[in-house]
Amino acid sequence: MAKIQHPESLNPLQKYRQAGQIFRSTTRAKNPAWFQSALELDFQLHIRPDGPGVTSVYYDRRTEKWSDGPKLTEEILHNEEQTQSLIEDVLKYTHSQKAKSLGIILHVADEFATTDLKPELDNPGDISDLRDAAINEPASILEDSSIQVDQASWRVIPYPAAGSEIIGTTVTLSKSLAPFLSSMREAGEKTNFPVITHALSAPLVTIMGLPKFLKEQPTKPFVTILQYPWFTIMAFFNENADLKLIRTLQHRGVRTASNFRNALFTTSASLEFLDPDLYILPLGEDIDLALEPSLHAQFQSSKIEMVETVTSDALPPWAPELAIITDLDSNDKVQSNTFTSFKEEGWATQDFIPTPKEVAEIYPRKSEMRFLKLSRIARVAIILLTLLGLSYFGLGVLEVIKKPEWSFDPSQANITRARVTKLKAEQKTIEHWENLLSDRSKAWANMESLARMFPPEDGMLIQKYNYSAKPDITRGQAKVGFIKSWNISGMARFEAVQQRLNKLNTRDGINSHFTEIAKTTGNSAFNPSIGNRSISVNIRTRENNSYRPIPPEEAQMSDETSYPYTFDLTITQRFESDDPMAINVPKAP
Amino acid sequence: MHLYRQSIIIFGVVIPLLFAAIIMGVGYVVQSKMVDSAQEKQLAFAAYDRDRNASNQLESQVIQKRGDLNRWKEKLNQQTASATQINLREIYKKLPSKEIQQTAFDPQNSRAGLGSASAQPSSQISIRFRGTYRTVQKAFLELETQMPQLQLQDFKMEPMSNSAALMNFQVTYTAWEK
Repeated sequence: MAKIQHPESLNPLQKYRQAGQIFRSTTRAKNPAWFQSALELDFQLHIRPDGPGVTSVYYDRRTEKWSDGPKLTEEILHNEEQTQSLIEDVLKYTHSQKAKSLGIILHVADEFATTDLKPELDNPGDISDLRDAAINEPASILEDSSIQVDQASWRVIPYPAAGSEIIGTTVTLSKSLAPFLSSMREAGEKTNFPVITHALSAPLVTIMGLPKFLKEQPTKPFVTILQYPWFTIMAFFNENADLKLIRTLQHRGVRTASNFRNALFTTSASLEFLDPDLYILPLGEDIDLALEPSLHAQFQSSKIEMVETVTSDALPPWAPELAIITDLDSNDKVQSNTFTSFKEEGWATQDFIPTPKEVAEIYPRKSEMRFLKLSRIARVAIILLTLLGLSYFGLGVLEVIKKPEWSFDPSQANITRARVTKLKAEQKTIEHWENLLSDRSKAWANMESLARMFPPEDGMLIQKYNYSAKPDITRGQAKVGFIKSWNISGMARFEAVQQRLNKLNTRDGINSHFTEIAKTTGNSAFNPSIGNRSISVNIRTRENNSYRPIPPEEAQMSDETSYPYTFDLTITQRFESDDPMAINVPKAP
Repeated sequence: MHLYRQSIIIFGVVIPLLFAAIIMGVGYVVQSKMVDSAQEKQLAFAAYDRDRNASNQLESQVIQKRGDLNRWKEKLNQQTASATQINLREIYKKLPSKEIQQTAFDPQNSRAGLGSASAQPSSQISIRFRGTYRTVQKAFLELETQMPQLQLQDFKMEPMSNSAALMNFQVTYTAWEK
C-alpha cells in the first residue's frame, strides 16, 4: 500500500486514486466504526489516571459488562515502548472479544484547571461560537495571553444558572497523553482495525452525572465537592440546580487544599449562597475522609452529605465517571438545564485530545466514503448501461451489415449506371437516325403509287406529276410535322373518270389507295391508319375542248383529242408533330 | 473539510459519465453513419438493380439495331454527293443504258426543305434523268435503299414530247449528314 499523503498536497486525480486506495485497502468503507465516536462503539477501554494510580477497565456495550483492563501506570501511558506493548495486548484482547472496533476513552482525573474567558465575550448568545473558538483559536477567547496551544487544550463550559456574573469558563487539560492516544489510533490504522479515542475531563463527567447520585431535587443552592487525589473541585449550583461557578483547588502534595474551607466559604458568600447544601464526592482511592467532619464545624447550618457513587461491583467506587459515560440514557432523579445541556449538548463529553486536524483530514470522511461507494456502484451501472447501449448499437450495426446490400460495391452501381447512360445514348442515337432515315418520302414508292393509281391502258393520260415534301415548322417543338403534296394533271376518258377519279376523290378511296401502297411497298408513310396523319384529295375535271369523238377501238393512248376530260388531282398528306414520322428537331446526340 | 469530495465527484461520477456519454455518442454516431451508409447502399443497390434490368432491356433493344446504326454511320460518314454518284454509277451498270440517262447532277450544301426543320446537318441534291418509268423506278429503289439518308424533297415527272416510252424525271433530295 502506497504511503497515504495529506490530500492538500495531491492533485485531484491523485486525491481520487488515494481515496480509491483507502476504499479498497482499508475497512473504512465497510466498518462504520471508523467514523463513530469512541463513546458509541460496542467495545471500549476506559482509562482513568487520577494521579496515584490508573484505573483501566473494558466495557462491552453489547452485554453491558465490565471487565478488568490491562494493568496500567502513569509510566506506561507516557512511555512509547511500553505503550506499544500495551497496544498489542489491548488489540489482542479486543479481537478475542470478537469486537469490530475499539473505543479508548481516557478519563483525565489527574488534572483540572479553569481559564477565564475574556470579559468582553460575556454574551450568552455567543457560547456556541466560543465553543468552536476554544478548539480552533483558544488564544482569541482566553483572558490568559500566555497560553501554549501545543501544550494544552481548552473547552468552554457554560454556566447556565440565571444571574451568573460570567457566561462560563474554560477547562484546561494538558496534551501530555496525546502521544499515547495517537499511538493507539496509529496501531488501529496499521492493523486496519478501528481504534477511536476520546479524552474526557473526569470532573466534568462527574458533574454531568450528579443527578444519578443526588437523592432528591435540590430546593436551595448547593455545592458539590469533588475530591480527587490531586485536586478538589467545587461546583456551585443555584436553587434550580444550575451551575453557577466551578472552582478548583490543587492539593499541591497534601491530601486536601489548605485553603479549601476558606475558599468554599468565601465563594459561597460571594455567590450569596446562604447555608448551601454540601455534597461531597470522594473520587480517589485514598482521599481525605476527614473533610466531611471538618466542614460540619464551619457550615453548621448546611446539609453536608457524602454522596455514594457506587454503580457497579465491577467498577471501583471512586470512579463513577466510567458508569456515567456509558449510561447516558438513564432517567435522572434531578433535573436542570445544566444537567440536560451538559448531556444533550455534550458540554461534559467534549474531546480534549481529538485526532489532530491534519491527521483526520488524510482519510476521506464518512460521507465521502459513502459517496465513493455509491460512485463505484454508479460506475458499474454506467459501464453496464454503456455496454448495453453499445450492444444495442452493435446489434443495430450487425443487422445492417447482415443485409446483402451492405456488401454491395457502390462502384458497381456507377458502372451499371454508366452502361445504362451509354445504352440510352446509343438508343437515342438509334432512335434519332431511325427517325431521320425513316421512309417518309421516297421516289420509288411515289412512282409505285402513281403506277397503281393510274394503271396503263386504263383510259387516262398523265401529263404532269409534281410532288413536294415541306416541313410544317412550329418553333419550340422537339419534332415537327411535314406535308406531302402531290399534284397530278392529265386527261381521262369517261369510264376512267367514273371508275377511277371519282373513286379516288373520296376519303375511303384515297385511304384505300394509300393503304394498298403501304402494304405493297412496305412504306409506312402511306399507311393512313397509324400515327397522327391525314389525307385530303381534290380532283377537278373539265371537258377537253379539243376532244373529237372517235370509236374507242380507234383511239390512241397518246392522242389527246381522244379524251373527253382533263383533270387536275391534288393530294395532300399531313403529318402532325406527334406522328412517329415527324422530323426530329435536335441534332444527333 | 471534505477534501476528497470534489475529486470523487469529478473522477468517480462526472468523468465516467462523460466517458460513457462519449462512448455512447461514438456508438450512436457510428451506428447512425452505418445505417445511413446502409440506406445509401440500399438505394444504390436498388438503383443498381433497376439500372441492371434497364440495361439488360436496353441492351436487348439496342443490340437488334446496333448493326443498322453502324451501317448508317458508315453511310453517313461518306460525303453525300460523291457517295450518290458512286451509287448511281453502280446502279447504271445494272440497268439498260437506253432506259435511263442522267441528265443533271446538282449537289448543294445549303440546308433547305425537310432539312430546314432539323438542327441535324443536311444538304440538297438535285438529279435529272431521262428514262423509262420502271427502269427509273428501279434506279430510285436501289439508290434510296443504298442511301437511306436521302429524303425526297421534290419530284417532277413528265412525258417527253418526242418519245412515248421515255419521260423526264427531276428529283431533289434532302440528304441527312452527320
